[in-house]
Amino acid sequence: MSHISNCADTRMLFALLLYGELSFDEEESVDAHLDGCADCRAALERERSLHAAFDGVAVEPAASLLRECRAELRAALEHEPLLTGSRDQAASREPGGWWDRIVNALGGASILRPVGAVALLALGFFGARLTPFLNLGQSEGLLAGTSQAGIARVSDVETQTDGSVRVVVDETRQKTISGNLDDQRIRTLLLEAVRDPSNPGLRADSVALLSHRAQSAEIRSALVYLVGHDPNDGVRLKAMEGLKASATEPEVRDALARALLNDSNPGVRTQAIDMLVPRPEDHSFPNIDRAMIGTLQELMLRENNPSVRQRGQRVLEAINASAEIY
Amino acid sequence: MAPNSGLQIDESALIRAAQQGDHDAFEQLVRVYDQSVLRLAMNLLRSPEDAQDVYQEAFLRVFRNLDKFRFDCSFHTWLYRIVTNLCLDQMRKRKVRREEPPVLAAADGPLDRMDSVPEDRVDGDPQRHLFSGQIRIRVKQVLDGLTPRERMVFELRHYQGLRLRRIGEILGTTEEAAKNCLFRATQKMRVALGDFV
Repeated sequence: MSHISNCADTRMLFALLLYGELSFDEEESVDAHLDGCADCRAALERERSLHAAFDGVAVEPAASLLRECRAELRAALEHEPLLTGSRDQAASREPGGWWDRIVNALGGASILRPVGAVALLALGFFGARLTPFLNLGQSEGLLAGTSQAGIARVSDVETQTDGSVRVVVDETRQKTISGNLDDQRIRTLLLEAVRDPSNPGLRADSVALLSHRAQSAEIRSALVYLVGHDPNDGVRLKAMEGLKASATEPEVRDALARALLNDSNPGVRTQAIDMLVPRPEDHSFPNIDRAMIGTLQELMLRENNPSVRQRGQRVLEAINASAEIY
Repeated sequence: MAPNSGLQIDESALIRAAQQGDHDAFEQLVRVYDQSVLRLAMNLLRSPEDAQDVYQEAFLRVFRNLDKFRFDCSFHTWLYRIVTNLCLDQMRKRKVRREEPPVLAAADGPLDRMDSVPEDRVDGDPQRHLFSGQIRIRVKQVLDGLTPRERMVFELRHYQGLRLRRIGEILGTTEEAAKNCLFRATQKMRVALGDFV
């Protein structure tokens, strides 16, 4: 076994010693030297401090970034040729599906990909409802006489063999239903109302009512969706209010993190940060997790609003984390 | 150290199923590793957009070449080989583009500025050990000054916790070469940060 008697040679090995990458003999030799050298023991402590300094700049990617990556990958795989084992299935898959077209329409820029994903979700949610309401505007006048106190829409048109046109009209009579919030019918109707893209006031009122029963998974999911997708700032804020009692639920935290990073309204972002990281009396933030730190660090990269930035920075400083993505 | 999925997953079975075209199996495989892949790319490239691009490209390459994977090495090593190559390419491009000189001049020889640091610093103010903004900025600058290979080895060893032997396999070199690379990186870091700790 070689013996290291020289302080400089010993110190050269400190980094590898701390990484556990020295051979048995090398480690023995370093230990032997340290036993008799106070200066080198002190130097080793400084080396440990240096290692700790490195730890302080590591970044944990935000949970929202990981989700975006997964969604993008899934979309990209949709139009990849299949692997050998299932080439026979490949014929049934169209090259360049709908996702392609949307992503291409967005120019393929990585920054726009999340926008595409959000747009698709919004289309899925509102798409089915938008058409009837647009039709309603046209049909109301024409059909005014046919359905008092009702709403109607054209659901189908067809040219007949004799040249006439066949129009199929769906008519819905208005009716009043009363009940309390524990009545499933009332809840179902309110959940329908929050999806009405034509009337933000109706959505806000319905959200406020549903918030009283936000402990229900169905209602919570609807509120979570609205936080991420409702085009009206007030409705999103109301939905967030409704989620306050369940702010520790993972799906709620995910939605709040997305809002914090992506919402266009600083008020919404401010509320998101307050709900995600409620300020304790002693400002110690004991429950903040690594994903949350990553989200806040990402926020510091994107955020232009001084007030929101200040809040994020305050939290990161309080927990002694880097305020920058490193 | 391979990421822990939290589940007992027979990785070989997943790979074989994915090779047969089972998309669910492929997705499961991705989920075992994708968080650590993203963390690696994010820490090395310091840009969410670039990290996202590396993530996507890496897993697409895995998907496209999975039928050629013959279990000659672990899946983790194979995947990380792809990821580290993509990151190194990106880092090298940046080095070429960058006009300002690196923060730290290369120091190939054994330098130890710690020798000149007074010993009483060890017993100094404990606050000294807390991370100040200054030290974080300095650490970033020093990491920027490392060569892409040094940076990569340091990242894999310090932040990803991989052993040098595995790092050598991933980077297509020997354990000894990886060790030398880590040694140079830590020497540079120590020289540059000696005044702060």
